[in-house]
Amino acid sequence: MEEKEKKEKKKSGGVIGFFRDFTYGMATHGMARHALKTRSSMEHLFILITMGDMLGIPILPPYYSLRLLPHVVPQITTWKRRMLREKDFVDSLY
Amino acid sequence: MSLTDVFEKYPNRRYIMYGGKGGLGKTTFSAATAFYLAKKGKKVLVFSVDPQASLSDIFERDIFGQGNIEIMPNLFAREVDADSRIQDYQEEIRQKIISMYGMKKIPEEIESYIKASSAEPAMEESAIFDAVVDIVVKGDFDYYIYDLVPLGHALYYLSMAAVYDAWLDKITSLREQMREYDRAIATMKREQETEEDEIYNELMYIKNRIGASSKIMTDTNKTAFFFVLTPEEMTVVDTEKAAKLFAKYNVPLAGYVVNRVIDRDLLKENIPAYLKNRIEMQAGALELIDNTFGASVLSRVPEFDSEIKGLDTIRELAEEMFEEKLS
Repeated sequence: MEEKEKKEKKKSGGVIGFFRDFTYGMATHGMARHALKTRSSMEHLFILITMGDMLGIPILPPYYSLRLLPHVVPQITTWKRRMLREKDFVDSLY
Repeated sequence: MSLTDVFEKYPNRRYIMYGGKGGLGKTTFSAATAFYLAKKGKKVLVFSVDPQASLSDIFERDIFGQGNIEIMPNLFAREVDADSRIQDYQEEIRQKIISMYGMKKIPEEIESYIKASSAEPAMEESAIFDAVVDIVVKGDFDYYIYDLVPLGHALYYLSMAAVYDAWLDKITSLREQMREYDRAIATMKREQETEEDEIYNELMYIKNRIGASSKIMTDTNKTAFFFVLTPEEMTVVDTEKAAKLFAKYNVPLAGYVVNRVIDRDLLKENIPAYLKNRIEMQAGALELIDNTFGASVLSRVPEFDSEIKGLDTIRELAEEMFEEKLS
């Protein structure tokens, strides 16, 4: 994704490109960051609901949650780390 | 109304189920009904998902886990091996993970999760009902006769289906919300539209499967559910209770079939007191059955002097059930 961004930057380049990136940085970057953060919290909430029994919280019947498993494999490790952290994970929202 | 009338009057009811307490003759009646319909020229599949399935016994052939086996012209039988189905399914998930991420081996925590899942209590019911959907959606038979697992399982599954459904609605809306965020982020970062959400599609698939499997049991137009009972007071009371529970989940009750009725004419002969008492007891219970279920009692099948096994005795039983000579 970063590469793609770079390419796009190169393509637009020049003075206009610079100002466009500058305004993005000033105005929307913070918002986008916040949205990404919320989005990842939701992702973790979703995995908790579907794969809860990995942490001993069974919620969805396993027959169907297995179908979802392949799609969340890459997130499992960060999710577990976050869920099992001693700190209350809600803290990180503020 | 007789059993024959029910089949003639509702030709669209292609999913036939017999339910009742254990050992009352569900499998026997399933086999006999399959025999009758096959003789009428319909293509019939009688199948069972019970690990202690007895279709192999009644047809005197080992058919466990072997797909659709032709027993006689138009009559096919099948015993689903739920355990190996679960194993195949787990293997499928492993392969999917490996191919999706180009892994050599499943990570340990994922592997242990997959392994543990087969020990979960609801796993088997879900696998069974999912198998039923597979068999039925193919639609290459005129009739599907479902030799049901004991009543408890079926009810458990139906109630589970209702819970899953509500639950799936919730997470689907969470997923939709996440998708909104994806879109917003993409716009803010001026990126291309994000790719399709595979998880959302999976959720929709699951929803459809659960819907389809509970629909097979609850579709009034396509399903006929018969209760099997014997003339004993306790069975009658239990059946009435079960019928009420099933009605709550909208299972279309088509009627009741009474099994093991001892011939009353025997009373005229010199018979032991034991048999006399049993006949009197049955008379009381039969009256109770008529008072409780009335016109919904479709057939009374006599007690046979031998076990129902093999096509010859199945025919005799079918002739009694449907009150018709079958060549």
